[in-house]
Amino acid sequence: MNRVHITKLILWMITGFAVAVGITRFLYGLGATTNLTDATPWGLWIGFDVMAGVALAGGGFVITAIVYIMRREEFHPIVKPAVLTAFLGYLAVIASLLVDLGLPWNIWHMMVFWNPHSPLFEVGWCVMLYTTVLLLEFSPVPLEKVSRYAKIRNFLLKFRFPLVMLGIMLSTLHQSSLGSLFLIMPFKLYPLWYSNILPIQFFISAVALGLMMVALESLVSSYLYRRPAEYHLIAKLGKTVVWVLLIYFIIKMTDIVISDKQELLFNGSWESILFITEILIAIIIPMIIFSTRRFRNNPAGQWIGSILVVSGMVFNRINVGGLTMLRATGDSYFPSWMELSVSAGVISAAILIFLFAIEKFHVWETPPRDPEAEPHKLPRFDTASQTWLGIPAVAGRTKYTLIFILSFALGLALIPSPNIRSRGISLAPVAPARGGDTLFIDGNRDLYGVSFNHIRHIEQNGNKKSCIICHHMNIPLDKQSGCYHCHRMMYESYDAFGHEWHSHKSGANLACGKCHLEGQEKNAISAKKCDQCHIDLIPPGALITIEQYNAPAYVDAMHILCVKCHREKVPSLPEKPNLARCTACHESIPPDYLKDTEGNHNVNTKNNRPYFNRVMLPGLK
Amino acid sequence: MDTFLEFASGSLFRLSFAIMAMGLLRILVLDIWAAIEAYKRAGDKNVPWNQAFRKTIAWLFPVSKVLNSRPAYSLLSIFFHIGLIIIPIFLYAHVQLWKGGIGFGWFTLPKLWADYLTLGTIIFGLALFIGRIVNRASLYISRKQDFLWPLLLIIPFITGYLCANLNLMPKYYDVFMLMHILSGDLIFILMPFTKIAHCVIMPLSQFILALAWRFPPNTDEPICATLNKKGTPV
Repeated sequence: MNRVHITKLILWMITGFAVAVGITRFLYGLGATTNLTDATPWGLWIGFDVMAGVALAGGGFVITAIVYIMRREEFHPIVKPAVLTAFLGYLAVIASLLVDLGLPWNIWHMMVFWNPHSPLFEVGWCVMLYTTVLLLEFSPVPLEKVSRYAKIRNFLLKFRFPLVMLGIMLSTLHQSSLGSLFLIMPFKLYPLWYSNILPIQFFISAVALGLMMVALESLVSSYLYRRPAEYHLIAKLGKTVVWVLLIYFIIKMTDIVISDKQELLFNGSWESILFITEILIAIIIPMIIFSTRRFRNNPAGQWIGSILVVSGMVFNRINVGGLTMLRATGDSYFPSWMELSVSAGVISAAILIFLFAIEKFHVWETPPRDPEAEPHKLPRFDTASQTWLGIPAVAGRTKYTLIFILSFALGLALIPSPNIRSRGISLAPVAPARGGDTLFIDGNRDLYGVSFNHIRHIEQNGNKKSCIICHHMNIPLDKQSGCYHCHRMMYESYDAFGHEWHSHKSGANLACGKCHLEGQEKNAISAKKCDQCHIDLIPPGALITIEQYNAPAYVDAMHILCVKCHREKVPSLPEKPNLARCTACHESIPPDYLKDTEGNHNVNTKNNRPYFNRVMLPGLK
Repeated sequence: MDTFLEFASGSLFRLSFAIMAMGLLRILVLDIWAAIEAYKRAGDKNVPWNQAFRKTIAWLFPVSKVLNSRPAYSLLSIFFHIGLIIIPIFLYAHVQLWKGGIGFGWFTLPKLWADYLTLGTIIFGLALFIGRIVNRASLYISRKQDFLWPLLLIIPFITGYLCANLNLMPKYYDVFMLMHILSGDLIFILMPFTKIAHCVIMPLSQFILALAWRFPPNTDEPICATLNKKGTPV
């Protein structure tokens, strides 16, 4: 067993575990696998995998710029590994993003339904385009192996320079647009991290991180394969990174001073400690290390310096991506072990592909050789099974697949059973709307509701005749029954019929034969229809036609009815263009009658949470 | 008891089922992979594919092979296999569990058939076990797992039969159910690592035989070179 084998075993183990958790996530959803909430919808998978993943991939554009644009040929040996790292980094980002998205199968929407105002639109396009460019940049390396693809390879090599340019351009856009994402969160992000020039800060820090990521990747792979690292090149990268870090530091601090936030730096709060730690790890200590000639040329110094920059900048992305928003949202979030394992698994898989690529293709000037594959090497018995498992390649796949499936099975077994048996949303019974001429519709009484001008709707739709437009059912002993009678659950459909009541002795006490005909299977389809007995049940002229007696959820019922009518009215009411939009009903200011005597709004302001919207989803179980 | 049942049918079942499914897939893939490599390496590429295919079919449905030697033993074995495969997959109660778990089910056996087939499988399994002990030739070539497997395999059938027919021992339902699930879990875990793996690689055996003993071209030369005996005929 050598270093590479042990590392691969561990990586396969982590990947197997993560695949099991990943499958659970896609089968049972985010609620069953993550600690994410409505207040913290972006967790580890965004903060670490996506945000930090993109930044870690920064080495690709930095090194290609150094070699192909600045013509520093001495860095040529690390170009291919850098591009490969960037490509795999972006694949990891895409994988994590798909795991994190609620409806990942709709990812193609942004390609068709353009929303150029959204930073995410830019992020999405940059990820797609840059991944493609990276693939084209790297593909000459694997294509080299197959002679029949020589034409394609030569074609791609001809376009190397434009591809490199395109890659640098897209990276510049993308690294900074990740910062732009947070420009719209001035109230959520803690002021020390929030800045109007976040995009610029993100870009510069990505350059530093990219440089050090390439250095670290060279150091780690040299350690694994027992070959001398490119220490002289890393020392040069270190020299460069000092300047980049210095610029980053000056920009960051100037911005803090200009926007008058320097008091927050040393006020002893949790965030100030986080910020100072981040600055020390990511900027100050590495700057000291790499500006000293002795440390810079020393492998130990290179190891420590590059690890500090990489972890410090990743820490920065986690801080911006969510950690420092917790104060504003009042939420407490710590990633679940399932989130952690998926993150670890995505990275492990990326490293495994990296190792595969450097072993199989001409990524390094001299490809690594497995010492156990040398022809003179005597066969060795496997320690566990006491047998010879075959040549290293065969023994490797035997062991890696075994550890993968064992770890996969363990992952599946550890998923808590209640999580995958949960039906997700908890039942929320509906209470009637309150008020008189104006109703406050708030079925689950969380005070996030809609105020509905009942009297105005009656007047505008033809007074008494208008009732049946909305009130599409007269339940027995009632007229124009209220919505809550049948739509009894806020988020789930509900049986509006009540079989138990109809058949029970203390209810209607009907014999089966009253509704179910003799000789037919007893089910809802073959049974007598309700309006055959309750003649006045469904008044003619209602906007809603009833197809089944399973009443939709209260929320759905309201939306179906109101939105349908509003949509029909929009063309005839040019003075109300927003009638069929969300804001027509969901105003951002609560109605006056919810004010208390002192004039304060009697609405939910738990933990001083900013008042964003009056539509809230229930907590997921 | 409920906790045990919950554990055995929840976490432990997921663990064992995953090991079984992925483990069997693993050996299938590894075997095919090795076979392809062997073919690529072989100097003589004339592999009797047709013959191997015909043999495979003949061994998968061993109708003509039955009467060759020990016909009673062979027949018992075939019936035992039929019970082993059909009952767990097509039992009504099992299909209901699948429906609850993955949302869809399939054709199920009538209760009476299932009961008779279960009893038959138990008897055939015991008969195979006894046959292996009684016949000296079989005894001679048997390993430990060959004795253990028929016994282990009939435990879930016995306990399952007792659970399905509550009137037999109603008080011990939970105990039998726990034994049923645990023995099933154990079988699943052991499947890919013991001879039961033949359930997926049996169809490959004839092809592997056909591919085996095909040495790479000029194999003797490097061997002699390594042994410092260049030029010596092997």
